[in-house]
Amino acid sequence: MPRSPARAGARLALLFATLAGFALAPRHAAASDFSPQGADSCLGCHSDVAVTGIFRTVHARPDDPRGPFGHGGLQCESCHGPGGAHVKAGGGPLAGMIEFGAKSPTPVARQNAQCLTCHQADAGHDWASGAHAASEVPCAGCHSLHQPKDPMQNATAQIEVCTTCHQAQHTDLFKPSHHPLREGKMACTSCHSPHGSTAPAQLVKNTVTETCTGCHAEFRGPFLWEHQPVAEDCSNCHDPHGSAQPALLKIRPPFLCQTCHEGVGHPSIVNTPQGLPGGAPSAFLLGGGCLNCHSQIHGSNHPSGRALMR
Amino acid sequence: MHPTTLPHSLSLTLGAALVLAGAGQAAPPAAATDPPADTSDWKCAACPFFTGYATDTEAGVQYASGANAAYGRYTGIDHTGAYADAAASGQVVTADGTYADYDLERLGLASRDGTVDAGREGHYDVRLNFDGQPTRLYDAPVKLESNRRTVDLLARYFATPSWTLFGEFQRQEKNGTGLTSGAFLTEALQLPLPVGYVTDSLEAGASWAGRHASLRVSYSGSWFSDENAGLEFANPYAPIVPGSTAGELADPPSNHLQQFSAAGNVELPWWATTLNSTVSVGTLRQDQSFLPVSTLAATNVLGINSLNGDVHLSHYAAGLASRPLPKLTLRGNAVYDGRDDKTPVLSIPYVVTDTFPGGTAVTPRYSEDRVRLDGGADYSLARWLRVGVGGKFDDNHYGPGQVYTNTQETESWGRATVLPIDSLSIAFKAGDGLRKVSSFDAAAVPVQESVLVRDYNYAPRDRTFSSLTGTWAITATLAWTIEAALIKDDFRSSPLGLQSDHEQRASSTFAWTPRESFTTYVDFGYQRLFTLENGSTGNAGTTPWLAAQTDRFWNLSVGGRWVPQERWTVSLDYLLAPSYSDTDTTTGGLQQAFPQNFTKLDSAHLDVLYRWTPALQLRVRYTHETYHENDWALDSVGPTTVPNYLALGLMPYRDNVNMIGVTVRYQFGRNFGAKPSP
Repeated sequence: MPRSPARAGARLALLFATLAGFALAPRHAAASDFSPQGADSCLGCHSDVAVTGIFRTVHARPDDPRGPFGHGGLQCESCHGPGGAHVKAGGGPLAGMIEFGAKSPTPVARQNAQCLTCHQADAGHDWASGAHAASEVPCAGCHSLHQPKDPMQNATAQIEVCTTCHQAQHTDLFKPSHHPLREGKMACTSCHSPHGSTAPAQLVKNTVTETCTGCHAEFRGPFLWEHQPVAEDCSNCHDPHGSAQPALLKIRPPFLCQTCHEGVGHPSIVNTPQGLPGGAPSAFLLGGGCLNCHSQIHGSNHPSGRALMR
Repeated sequence: MHPTTLPHSLSLTLGAALVLAGAGQAAPPAAATDPPADTSDWKCAACPFFTGYATDTEAGVQYASGANAAYGRYTGIDHTGAYADAAASGQVVTADGTYADYDLERLGLASRDGTVDAGREGHYDVRLNFDGQPTRLYDAPVKLESNRRTVDLLARYFATPSWTLFGEFQRQEKNGTGLTSGAFLTEALQLPLPVGYVTDSLEAGASWAGRHASLRVSYSGSWFSDENAGLEFANPYAPIVPGSTAGELADPPSNHLQQFSAAGNVELPWWATTLNSTVSVGTLRQDQSFLPVSTLAATNVLGINSLNGDVHLSHYAAGLASRPLPKLTLRGNAVYDGRDDKTPVLSIPYVVTDTFPGGTAVTPRYSEDRVRLDGGADYSLARWLRVGVGGKFDDNHYGPGQVYTNTQETESWGRATVLPIDSLSIAFKAGDGLRKVSSFDAAAVPVQESVLVRDYNYAPRDRTFSSLTGTWAITATLAWTIEAALIKDDFRSSPLGLQSDHEQRASSTFAWTPRESFTTYVDFGYQRLFTLENGSTGNAGTTPWLAAQTDRFWNLSVGGRWVPQERWTVSLDYLLAPSYSDTDTTTGGLQQAFPQNFTKLDSAHLDVLYRWTPALQLRVRYTHETYHENDWALDSVGPTTVPNYLALGLMPYRDNVNMIGVTVRYQFGRNFGAKPSP
């Protein structure tokens, strides 16, 4: 029996209505679960600098209706959950409250859900299906909300945080050819979105090439004469995390070029140490190798740039 | 090349998000409206809200001895001499909720940067960011250096608690002198390249956030312009043909990229499921006027002025994450990326290196469609054991005129995380992958290329990989982390090009904090990369050869921080990071090794802070760094070393720097007291 478009549309509308109802539904918590005086109840005990640093941050601005301390906001309990039982007991066990951090007994999913309550749009679009969510990384494993300045906002401090887990990338920082992370001029988030993205390796732009040409727009083209691996993916030739070869190249020219260009003529010639100074110095090998002549390796807009030499 | 309709699931997700967006005016993201608690007595009287100003300034001088391009590569400290050292950070908050935060660093250097955040709480905010990025190339008779300066202005208006309008403008300027080279058929010369790039970027849009859904729509544009059209250079050699006395390189053409994007997510009421999706479509265009075909005037017979380059880019993605059981999590992503090059294919009469006509060639255009699927499942078998499996599938289709039509790669993995005791976590992951490649389109192979070659992304490949990570809080004061990984690629079905590559990595960190006033660490890392490629096999008239490259990297850091008494803080860090790169070629059974390329970074840094008063501090910093590089491509290569290559005489990076800095840090401010309770 053929399906009626009207019925299908009605089903779709019903699904949307269900979703909309769910999306707009208020959360459930009983008034009695909360502390009697909000932050004043909390600060009676938790008054040390490690806690009150938050009052220098965006999370504790009383005129911001979006924030926990905005008018009518739930203050500390916006994030930490209802603290009535904790207060009633005079402290001690958290009684179901949320404790944040990598070592917290609160399940990571519950911690992060609390953050995403507000940060769906600016951080969380792709969080749930991202690698950090899959690895159960808590938001507070990286972010320090009670510090006047979250270390993740500073390039050098951010790199320290990221390489706590990504230790291999810590070694990359010291490679001879590297992006200026060690010098504090780039951060991991210059290229990667730790909150998830739909790009490979959680990049900030849709593709590897779009990410690289965000800064290196001179290689964006389209050129009259394109070089296929450049148009496809910069990481065909470059290792953005660092390399022992110049310009972050994976292999040193001419050998890198010869992984593809092995045809008849000079591309097929073996280059040996005989081509170094003291032997018969070779322009195929010294200086830029192949790039001594084919300098427009990223593409050429010159009518005679067919071999990327103009 | 592109699908004409969106995948059904994607349409559904977007549709849902749009419905929510339309209905969501009254849905604030936080529980700020209609809270479940009676907050009428929540005075927040004890809340130390800040109203006033606070400033932390640091100023002084640093003196560098022995600095050169190596030390200044990204710092800008590139010569012996004194440099101003200044930084400031602070905050101003007024009673009506207007605020400004600022953070300015390295103000005396070319690498200066700073951020100013200002706004009115809950109404709008503005962020101004500036950044200086020096790049110093090798020490050479000519100065090869450039500076990138970036200014970024972001403004957001919080139209409602749910809706935000935003706009961001960024200008990047890069000026200076880079390095390139030019050729006249069989002869080449290194050239300083004037650089004058400007990239303006604009993004504007709106975002909406509900309790269980969000949406963001935006337009972004990026316009790159190059103040130089080309670089003309004289032929220093005797012309191969009469008149070939000058050459000209084309500079990168000005271009612009424009994209419309929508991204959103929605939490479904079942199984803690979240759907997310992103749609982005755009165009990349350039239409810069061509340079003459050649400096040989008689050959300029092109008959077309510009390319009218037009590439359409599309990105459609959908993701899903779900927890159908308390112990089971699932996630998956499906992504389509399209690059459709609609640039006209041209037949171009070209001249070889401004020397002689080379005939007519057809410009290649490269289009591709990529589909990526990935997913995984994790299950908590016990409190101490979590296991997971996952995989991915990449399917790439290449457009007309390319030597391959299709590659497909599958990868699968499994992992287990074990917590034998609360303080110890060990995770092991292992998997393998297989890439298949379509048959070769011999008709598309350029005449000078071998039909046997397979390049990086086209080569049929078997991959195995494994990794181990561990974290152990041995005692309350001693923590240890370790990470190790192995990756092995085998391109054994490729007759030419890469045959295999291997990667081995290991790293470890000890951190010891016996007391709050004393922390130490030891950090170690190692990586080995090996590649083997096969050259010339099967080509008539040339000798088969193999080339192997092995790169090894080490790093060792030791340091600590000590607060011997309230007034003093002492930090000491030492870093040793050598790298070794070995290349050898084998032909006719004879293996020949190149000299080892070697770098060694040796650095020690001492930082002493003395608190004269709570507000006034004196800081003394001392850095010693040596960097040594051996590079057979540069060592002993002077202007006339290679008969047909006129080099600039670049020297490998080497330095021996002592730098001392003295700064005074002064903190001042005033808090006018707590704000009235909200």
